[in-house]
Amino acid sequence: MDTLSEMLALGDIMARVKALRVPADALTWHRFSGSLLLVLLVLLFLSGAFMAFYYSPAPGAAYDSVDYALYSVPFGDVIKGVHHYGWNIFLIVLGLHLVRAFIVAAYKSPRQLIWVSGVLTLLLIPALIITGDLLPWDQNGFWTTQVRISIIASVPLVGDFMVRLIQGGPLTGIVALTRFYVLHILFLPALLIILIVIHFHFLKTRGLSEPLFKKGSQSKTISFFPQLINRWLLLFLAVTLVLGVLSWYWPAPLGDPADPTDSTFVPRPEWWVLSLNQLVTIFKGSLTVIGSVIIPGGLVVLLLALPFLDTSPDRHPARRKKVVLTAIVVAIILLGLSVMGYNEHFNGNVS
Amino acid sequence: MKRNGKAESISSDRRAFIKTAALCGGAISLAGIPLAGYFISPALKKGTGKWVDFGVAEDLTPGSIEMLSYEFMVKDGWQVLPQRGFVWAKTEAAGNIQIFSSTCTHLACNVIWREDEKIFECPCHSGRFDINGRPLAGPPTRPLSVLEHKIEDENLLVYLTF
Repeated sequence: MDTLSEMLALGDIMARVKALRVPADALTWHRFSGSLLLVLLVLLFLSGAFMAFYYSPAPGAAYDSVDYALYSVPFGDVIKGVHHYGWNIFLIVLGLHLVRAFIVAAYKSPRQLIWVSGVLTLLLIPALIITGDLLPWDQNGFWTTQVRISIIASVPLVGDFMVRLIQGGPLTGIVALTRFYVLHILFLPALLIILIVIHFHFLKTRGLSEPLFKKGSQSKTISFFPQLINRWLLLFLAVTLVLGVLSWYWPAPLGDPADPTDSTFVPRPEWWVLSLNQLVTIFKGSLTVIGSVIIPGGLVVLLLALPFLDTSPDRHPARRKKVVLTAIVVAIILLGLSVMGYNEHFNGNVS
Repeated sequence: MKRNGKAESISSDRRAFIKTAALCGGAISLAGIPLAGYFISPALKKGTGKWVDFGVAEDLTPGSIEMLSYEFMVKDGWQVLPQRGFVWAKTEAAGNIQIFSSTCTHLACNVIWREDEKIFECPCHSGRFDINGRPLAGPPTRPLSVLEHKIEDENLLVYLTF
């Protein structure tokens, strides 16, 4: 072993990794969402990269290639399923990660930029979902994209330009599909990695937030290698097993091939976008901009600015009544909008 | 050099910074301008349109709303593909024709004519339009767009944009 590391000239790095200590609660039963996100991200990158082996980004061929990968390639259903369930669960865990950080006020000084980089990461996910949903070129992906594109086009001044920019023209055709593909597998993941590296940089230099109740447990440390790595690998094994079994029994959906002339297909918004979709339904006509830009944009600004608005040193939720109440009100409104959207789109309320 | 070392090193620091910044700016613009142009160029092209032939105008039944399907070839980047779709023709009397786009003014689903209720309905969010394309109910607030048409050699031509 020694001679091998000598031969590879890894001595310095090995010594540094072995000496690295991390807080004992970096990955425990009560703090695991970050590690879980990292597990899911690795699985998403792996399944995504391997799905690219069987994918042709051209209308028509795209659907056949996804269909082939799903049904004719060994483990095809598992790989696609892991990607499908993976991003859904990723988004849920990312939400919980944010809620936890909010409740324990982990965004407070000196950790403001950990929060900001995390929120920026969250904002990148819809872009990944929007570009990913079109790739199978099935009815749902195609028509969902049409709805999203018309929402983007309704943004005053820049809407039309933005649609032409992301589609590479006015049509959702081969140019658009190629762009979505390259954004989805190259540019957006690269941006995601950069943001996560920044997140970790601040996490390492500013440290994990201390627990609210048990003071002083922060001083306990474990070794990065092998203790933390082993815990993470256990989590990886468990998550991979669960996602694999899930995908095996309930394969990821693939609808009928996209038919741009079909007027009977009604795309249903995905669960995560129900509340925003409902905002666009509520604010009609000339008010659309309120639902499509002003309210979502305002929420994003609030979320990003939170560490600089709530600057008191108090971290306990009971001593941050204003902030916590505001967040609860916003959460209830978003949940209410989602329920309204769900009823409208899924409960046959469409007369 | 060492006598006034501090001032010297500040100014040489600054000089080094300016030098690197200038090089950086040059590198970014040299590489960035062609790359950005490469990526953005299709977005700068204006949309085009085309007169599409829908056959003999007198074949339309007066007093009815009829679906007219079209298919024509469109160049999408490096691929020429059939563009398919339909418009709604409202014929009051021979020669008095109005062509409605089938695109719902809410979120671009296709509206369907319902003869029983004499309305256009959008299946996506239940938007409804009357026989003249005016919004009646649901999310749409703008009327269905009326497409330009003309009759040439007895044939109905409609100007479709894409």
